[in-house]
Amino acid sequence: MNGLLPLLKKELIEQLRTYRLLVVGGIFLFFGILTPLTLKFLPQIMKLSGEQIALDIPPPTAIQSLIEYAGTIGQVGVLVMVLVAMGTVANEIKHGTGLLTLSKPVTRAAFVFAKFLAMCATLLVSLMIASPVTYGYTVGLIGPASTAAFIGQNLLLAVFLLFCLAVTILFSALFKSSLAAGGISIGIIICLALVSTLPVIGGYLPGKLLTWGNNLLNGSGNSYWWALIVTVIIIGICLYLAQYVLKKKEI
Amino acid sequence: MTAISTEGLSKYFGSVKALDNLNLAVPENTVFGFLGPNGAGKTTTVKLLTGFSHPTSGKATVAGERVGGENLALRSKIGFMPDVPAFYDWMTGAEFMHFAGELHRLPSDKTRQRSAELLQLVELTKAGNRRIGTYSRGMRQRLGIAQALINRPEVLFMDEPTSALDPIGRREVLELVSRLKQSATIFMSTHILSDVERVCDMVGIINKGKLVVVSTVSDLHKKYTRSIFEIEFLEDARPFAASLQNLSWLADPQCVTENGQQIVRVRAVDMDQARRELPRLIGDSGLTMTRYELIVPNLEDIFMNVINGGNT
Repeated sequence: MNGLLPLLKKELIEQLRTYRLLVVGGIFLFFGILTPLTLKFLPQIMKLSGEQIALDIPPPTAIQSLIEYAGTIGQVGVLVMVLVAMGTVANEIKHGTGLLTLSKPVTRAAFVFAKFLAMCATLLVSLMIASPVTYGYTVGLIGPASTAAFIGQNLLLAVFLLFCLAVTILFSALFKSSLAAGGISIGIIICLALVSTLPVIGGYLPGKLLTWGNNLLNGSGNSYWWALIVTVIIIGICLYLAQYVLKKKEI
Repeated sequence: MTAISTEGLSKYFGSVKALDNLNLAVPENTVFGFLGPNGAGKTTTVKLLTGFSHPTSGKATVAGERVGGENLALRSKIGFMPDVPAFYDWMTGAEFMHFAGELHRLPSDKTRQRSAELLQLVELTKAGNRRIGTYSRGMRQRLGIAQALINRPEVLFMDEPTSALDPIGRREVLELVSRLKQSATIFMSTHILSDVERVCDMVGIINKGKLVVVSTVSDLHKKYTRSIFEIEFLEDARPFAASLQNLSWLADPQCVTENGQQIVRVRAVDMDQARRELPRLIGDSGLTMTRYELIVPNLEDIFMNVINGGNT
């Protein structure tokens, strides 16, 4: 993978200079803080509005807060990752910046992999900022929760989001238009999420990673090791195909 | 030694022949001007030779390396400047040069030194620390040239290098190209004929995907010299033009008036005899001659002639 290090360095600096890290981290943090706050103060907010229904809301639990956080990031995070990655290859080819980079002795694999690694870094840093804050707010406002289970849930969430990232990078390499790449990626991710709800086959698909994360917090339910293995394999296949497509592409 | 060679290189887009059976041999340390009207196949050729596009058939060698696949050895020996170089706007010019050096695996200190030299060469030293997003088109073009030279390429591909530049910028780039031919072979695609005339040693003219002519610029001039004499007189020259009518070594004498001057134009059938005899006939005519010239066509005339099928 000739050129991986300088390309990765460039991609990492780009994440900072173009404020991608700030935006993604900011969004994750916003929802990270919002979830426990909303759960804690929802009865009071309802009471202030004069609605009697507030009295019927059961008191929130820490597990409920952390599961809701993962659910929100599992949806908003997918959208954010797709938006961040959909133009990553397509725009470089369309605007011509990739032409100068690829005229140097670097492999297409390094070009694709550097982008994936840099966006991984953005995702992981964003999660590492948002998750402890969510955990802190949850423990402080609502009550204690298992740290180990929450870390496990976040790791599974990260793998799921990396899968979304890899799918989007593949379509960004395939299509000239970043919008097309984003649209198709979202479509495929939604389809896979729907199929994940099916019995038997669903247990092998990436969507089950989120269920597994929730099971960890609840301390009950199944583990989905096959879903994890399949997800990692899909990530690898997507990245391989992305560099292959780029190698065959007329630039 | 040949720096660039192609054998039957062709590129079809469906039924459209963007490049048809290109056979070319460009010697080392030559500035090769690749001329053609828009859509003739110039950019397609450059993209094929730099490995950005895959040929439908044929093969090419650049700097001793076979073009095709992911040939990194080829990429380390060439420099490439596209017609509209696009950069990462958030980088500074100096950062981009450093990035280009790193991609070529140059040591950090050498990259820094070479970047500084090249930024100075293209007069971007002061602007080097500014974001590229703030650069004018001409500055981007100059940075495009600088980044293509970071690895001291054996072969430099330049696609329309002066198209976005003002006259001063153009002159500077052409002077730079002239200097570079000491150390590199330059393949310059362009449709600006005066640029070719100024810096190129060899020229290839392409039209509708087919290479029509390859020649040195001087041979091209010789080949297309039309052997026409223009003689300007103060007095009425029509009788003189008529007197040339029956000479077997001259043809098509005409007398025209331009800006109040009488001009006789005549084509030499036998050039040597015309060179010997015509001055004597002018002397014998008793007219006052103000100009005597053998018309040499410029590259634009030759280009139009070739494109319009004059070569075939």
